[in-house]
Amino acid sequence: MFILSFLVRRLLQGALIIFLVTLLIFTLLRVVPGDPVRLMAGGMAPEALIEQIAKQMGLRDPILVQFGRYMAGVVQGDLGQSFVRPASGAATGGSGFSDASRSDRAEVLTLIADALPMTLQLAALAIAFALAFSFLVGVPGGLAPNRWPDRLAFYVSSIFVSLPNFWLGIVLALLFSVKLGWLPAIGYKGFAYTILPAIVLAIELAPVLIRNLTGSLASVMQSPFIAVARVRGLGRQRIVYGHALRNASVPLLNLLGIQISGLLGGVLIVEFIFDYPGLGLLTVNAVMQRDFPLIQGIAIVSSAIFVLINIGVDLIATLIDPRLEY
Amino acid sequence: MANPPVLSVRDLAVELRTESGTRSILSDISFDLEPRQIMGIIGASGSGKTVLSRALVNWIDPPLAIASGSVIYKSQNILELPPGQLRPLRKEIAYVGANPMGALDPTLPVGAQIVEKIRAVVPGMDKAEAQRRVIELLGAVRIPSPAQRFHEYPSQFSGGMMQRALIVDALATNPAFLVADNVTQPLDVTVAAQVMRLMRELTERFDTAVVFVSSSLPTVSEAADQVLVLADGRIVERQTPAKLIREPQHPYTVQLISEIPQIWTAAAPVVESPERSGTPLISIEDATRTYRVRKRSSFAGYNNVRAVRNVTFDVYPGENFGIVGESGCGKSSLMRLLSRLESPDTGRVVCDGQDIAKLSGAELLKFRRDFQLVLQDPFNSLPPRTSIGAIIEGPLKVHGVNSAAKRRERALAVMHEVGLSAALYDELPLGLSAGQRQRVNVARAMVLEPKVLIMDETLSSLDQTEQFKLLKLFSQLQAKHGLTYIFISHDMAMVRRVCNRIAVMYLGEVVEIADNGKLFFDPGHPYTKALLSAIPTLEKRRYRPEDCLLEGEPPSPIDLPPGCSFASRCPKAFGRCHAESPVLTVDGKEGMAACFLLESAGGRIAA
Ligand code: SF4
Repeated sequence: MFILSFLVRRLLQGALIIFLVTLLIFTLLRVVPGDPVRLMAGGMAPEALIEQIAKQMGLRDPILVQFGRYMAGVVQGDLGQSFVRPASGAATGGSGFSDASRSDRAEVLTLIADALPMTLQLAALAIAFALAFSFLVGVPGGLAPNRWPDRLAFYVSSIFVSLPNFWLGIVLALLFSVKLGWLPAIGYKGFAYTILPAIVLAIELAPVLIRNLTGSLASVMQSPFIAVARVRGLGRQRIVYGHALRNASVPLLNLLGIQISGLLGGVLIVEFIFDYPGLGLLTVNAVMQRDFPLIQGIAIVSSAIFVLINIGVDLIATLIDPRLEY
Repeated sequence: MANPPVLSVRDLAVELRTESGTRSILSDISFDLEPRQIMGIIGASGSGKTVLSRALVNWIDPPLAIASGSVIYKSQNILELPPGQLRPLRKEIAYVGANPMGALDPTLPVGAQIVEKIRAVVPGMDKAEAQRRVIELLGAVRIPSPAQRFHEYPSQFSGGMMQRALIVDALATNPAFLVADNVTQPLDVTVAAQVMRLMRELTERFDTAVVFVSSSLPTVSEAADQVLVLADGRIVERQTPAKLIREPQHPYTVQLISEIPQIWTAAAPVVESPERSGTPLISIEDATRTYRVRKRSSFAGYNNVRAVRNVTFDVYPGENFGIVGESGCGKSSLMRLLSRLESPDTGRVVCDGQDIAKLSGAELLKFRRDFQLVLQDPFNSLPPRTSIGAIIEGPLKVHGVNSAAKRRERALAVMHEVGLSAALYDELPLGLSAGQRQRVNVARAMVLEPKVLIMDETLSSLDQTEQFKLLKLFSQLQAKHGLTYIFISHDMAMVRRVCNRIAVMYLGEVVEIADNGKLFFDPGHPYTKALLSAIPTLEKRRYRPEDCLLEGEPPSPIDLPPGCSFASRCPKAFGRCHAESPVLTVDGKEGMAACFLLESAGGRIAA
């Protein structure tokens, strides 16, 4: 009953959030300079034709009308069609002029559906790396406050936090794929191509996780129930892994929920650097091409993902610690 | 002695080792614990009794360290056993501490954790078997519906329930001895009395020897066969409780006994009510306060927590008015209404003929000036980085005294009045003792020359000696400034000493309101009797706990059943009590109580 009410409440909230995000992006896209039709039709297209196409596409209607039309499509699962990409593949546009008929242009949904799994794979691997690394460094640090493992955790996270991701991406690519030839770096032709970008993202995520884990583990180890557990006769392993880590994982989870939202920024840059065909690269291109429907589609999908991930994180946190209420 | 002792402590010494040097905490501690014996250890805070109780179970962590001596159990010195060998022994050595709410992992069910412990110290114990035993024992400590409670989390247990569960945790493996460190200290008196009774029963049933550590001599003397008195880390006296009380030898024991409050003896203080002149200073009229909290188990539902229900009383100028009750009875919510931190949902609080909820501007400022709150817990209410002078001057600034020289003069005058030396003016509150901190709090309240001081558990964290001194200070201040005090407290003995009129609260209602003498010698309400029966005292009790209280704890103030709120624990409850709610009825000339028994008694007399 509790879980059901939790889910219903949170999903409704989430729907509202997604709606607001969409509205915001939609409005912003229409007020920023740059006419997408001009880009679509090419620099050489006559002014009258551009006006005509724009009218046809409904781009001269009031924003609210456009938005209503768009949302009506969205709720039916139709995110519209890309302004610039043909269904076949490569982006159209440029200086040449071709009036691709609407049916030739790619469905936004398909574009996203192609890119999303790639990004999810990248993100999942990055989180796995980040968590593994944080536990490796953070747990010993949390168990030995103010001694060398704690200091090590501190230094490691300080170094990581000060590495810019674009620089790190380039350096790692040079080192591991150009110099050593261990891992492929550019493009995507198989799982191995995910590893390097995931490492870059993981290094970006790890410092906050390490600090959080060291700090919360150290403070949980100070709680009375840990001291009493020893007197009650529990073994050290049980105390640390069964109780202390369990308690320390709740703040870590919450942090992870927030960090995943921050991951998007990293994904944009890292995918761009490694030319990794995920949502980030798609976004970068869509923005450069002023491909409004695609940008909007990505915004909706990614905010839906954030909402779902945060609901999931909170749900797991409540399952671990029954005192929590969201 | 036919049997060898269970536990022998020899020349035990514990030190505190810090960078600035070593300080002795315990020294020359030697005693034997005989089988089935209950050994009481008593001492003031800081006497080293908690350290001693921990040393007995080898729980000494840096910066504390064992300097010398031994704790022999089964001819092994448990202080020197490596952890691997000590751990199996934990089955036979049990410990229950003073902080029940912190003792278990908050994220796992209570039952599972007790099972975990049993299986950790008894290798090879079957899980289902352990679970069966735990549920049986939870029932034995009178936790209602143990099979269901087994699966609940620590936060769903009250302090008293949790302490019972921890006693189960300690006794589940049939230990040879149990160290109980201040187990009743955090509990309400009526619950503490139950827990004590329970411990005695269980230790008899399991043949467990007990080391019972406490700061309350009455509690120890009721429980123990032999008492050790600890002062400054040494045993200064060892006696049977009866002898200890009759012929205390050491000056510390003598002082300890002299400080135990007198309730019913001839030496007990008599608190007279002041002449009632004119109108009440503050009246609370039929006030009700309900809080809404989200219901976890249902969809978008709320629970109504009825914290204060239909409370009515007047406080007259110059009175010492007491509001007593156990935790959760609504006395703190009532304090919030009285001091206008919150407004009642229905009913009103009237001061000088005006509803205080309607005050604003200058009138409100005047009300705030006249009614000052002195809060509980002196360790958290003083800002650590502000000088004492500045803390005391704070309210003056708020109330528009702009000249720094004037503020300083006033602050120094008040500090002098409450017994703080002027040299403390520029000091930070860090080095202050609990008593001094409380004086700073009082000074901060007094600096505006209020008419009423509301004391919310102000004295509860102080030891008896400090309490005596502060109470004396309060009566001096009252004589000089004509103050009125409202004491909110759970401590019946303290209230007996200072309050002329007392309201007893239970589940948000005032169940009895009476003059001091009437309340303690002829209480009208069964709950008042239960409270009186549970006061820790060395006197012969006028009311015995066995007669006055059923097992159990106050029901939750959520969705209260109809009928008398005390019906679930009242030994005298009868049919009508479960259907109707009694209202405050005049009981004699100095009191009122809400109980049907009074109506019928009154009726009989009239007939
Ligand atoms: S009314 Fe009934 S239940 Fe309530 S206190 Fe009196 S006798 Fe007990």
